[in-house]
Amino acid sequence: MSSHALDQPKVAPVRRGPGPMARAIDTTLGRGLIQIAAVAIVLACWQAAVDAGWLTEFLVGAPLGIWRMFHAQLASGDLAIDTWTTLVEAILGFVIGTVAGSAIGLGLWYSTFVARVVEPFIVAINSVPKIALAPIVILWFGTGLVSKVALAVSLTALVALIAAYGAARDADPDLQALLASMGATKNRIFRSVIVPSTLPAIIGLFRINIGFALVGAVVGEFISSQRGLGHMIYTASSLYDLDSVWVGLFVLMAVGFVLYHLIDLVERRILPWRQVSTAGQVQV
Amino acid sequence: MTANDTSRTIQLSLRDIRKSFPARSGPVPVLDGLDFDIHERDFVSIIGPSGCGKTTVFNVIAGLLEPDSGSMTFRGEPVAGLRGRVGYMMQKDLLFPWRTVLGNVMLGLEMKGVEPKQALDTAREYLSTFGLSGFENAYPKTLSGGMRQRAALIRTLITDPDILLLDEPFSALDYQTRLYLEGVLLDAVETFNKTVVLVTHDIDEAVALSKRVVVLGNRPTRVKAVHDIVLADRSPIGARSDPAFSDYFHTLCGELDIQTRRKVA
Ligand SMILES: Nc1ncnc2c1ncn2[C@@H]1O[C@H](COP(=O)(O)OP(=O)(O)O)[C@@H](O)[C@H]1O
Ligand SMILES: [Mg+2]
Repeated sequence: MSSHALDQPKVAPVRRGPGPMARAIDTTLGRGLIQIAAVAIVLACWQAAVDAGWLTEFLVGAPLGIWRMFHAQLASGDLAIDTWTTLVEAILGFVIGTVAGSAIGLGLWYSTFVARVVEPFIVAINSVPKIALAPIVILWFGTGLVSKVALAVSLTALVALIAAYGAARDADPDLQALLASMGATKNRIFRSVIVPSTLPAIIGLFRINIGFALVGAVVGEFISSQRGLGHMIYTASSLYDLDSVWVGLFVLMAVGFVLYHLIDLVERRILPWRQVSTAGQVQV
Repeated sequence: MTANDTSRTIQLSLRDIRKSFPARSGPVPVLDGLDFDIHERDFVSIIGPSGCGKTTVFNVIAGLLEPDSGSMTFRGEPVAGLRGRVGYMMQKDLLFPWRTVLGNVMLGLEMKGVEPKQALDTAREYLSTFGLSGFENAYPKTLSGGMRQRAALIRTLITDPDILLLDEPFSALDYQTRLYLEGVLLDAVETFNKTVVLVTHDIDEAVALSKRVVVLGNRPTRVKAVHDIVLADRSPIGARSDPAFSDYFHTLCGELDIQTRRKVA
């Protein structure tokens, strides 16, 4: 009988928490060192593969070349100007698109009727791949800053609108009822329930939209521009200057990374109630 | 006895309140002509089978739901609902997660437009009366169930509402905490001279706390019986050991058709 596994009571294997070794490594410093080591290994392998002739430097670039190019562009000041250009486009697009989109999305909470009327239009417009609008946007808004901002707005606004409306609709009806029983007006309920309860979703949206805004700016620059990281990447790749392409990509990555963490800072400021405790998290 | 007279003055009366909710198969009647009165400084418990419409009655009284028909009068005047005049404590301890205890407690005062400085003083006073001093800046999710419920109770009392509507306020708590909070509630009601309507599924609690018990029938519901509860001692434990307690208890159990044993045919 004992051979029947099913007869045995099912007992989950007890997993122990991290051992002393793991605990020593699992610190900010420990994790950072591991992350840096991982990057260093990848770069070293890449450089070695190029040096050994397994990879064609002409097509993939090489870390040392990228580093030299980075310095050259930094020294000439081109990199700073290009980065600044893209950053301004993306941030303007992000702010305008996200603020306008979320405001309209939250505003739709006021009227289910209006929300139902406009819903199919929003879904339809949102299902157009916005990148496909890029050529028209350039036609309408020229080759300068405005067209890139417009493109970033087109990528971020509807996402914001849909997410904000969804979050507003999901806001706890009981909290709203409670305020109503206290005699609160609709505006009051909006301010005291809808806005605070949608903030986490809206901050989450910021993270997504930072990425979309950068896409808008860079694609706009690909199509027509005088400056910007997208412009730099595009022209460099048409000249097979792969090292410059990588410089542009890495800087874009760094820009996205910094913006993402800025949002973390913002989140910690305006959502203190969300990080009361991570200590209660179950260790498995 | 003049004291007895005021306690028999009708504060709120519901007459023939009907409410149905739309469902796929047509409207489902929930309240089927509800009639009852709440006296000044009354303590009425409403008991009834689960899903019979107790919360719905509260939503109607609070003015959150419009009845299909019927009328309500408050101190002799016809009213559509008591929005802004009730202290409604809902079934869950509905604290705002993004507000601290202090912020939650002050909510009602903010709604009334009380000056912030004064609201703060009042809130601190209540928090200390209810033993929550020191937790002013804590967020609700860091509190125990009993503390959350106390905070919700303060929020309900602090605006000095005409009627308290308490919807199963203690049902999620353990027995000790519940007895303790029942005591807190009784003291508060006595101190502040409040009218209380309490929904509970706990017959025990209804008998121990109330002056009167309204029994509702199955959905669609109407009032099945109203009982006056007369106990010498109204403290949570004292009431439960009163000789008359078990009579009331059995009568109410009978009216709710509660069977603790399978019937043997
Ligand atoms: N907003 C609503 N829409 C549809 N049905 C509802 C709504 N609120 C309550 N009901 C129904 O009315 C009945 C009574 O609900 P409720 O008053 O919450 O009962 P309880 O006595 O348990 O508090 C239930 O069957 C419930 O499904
Ligand atoms: Mg209920």
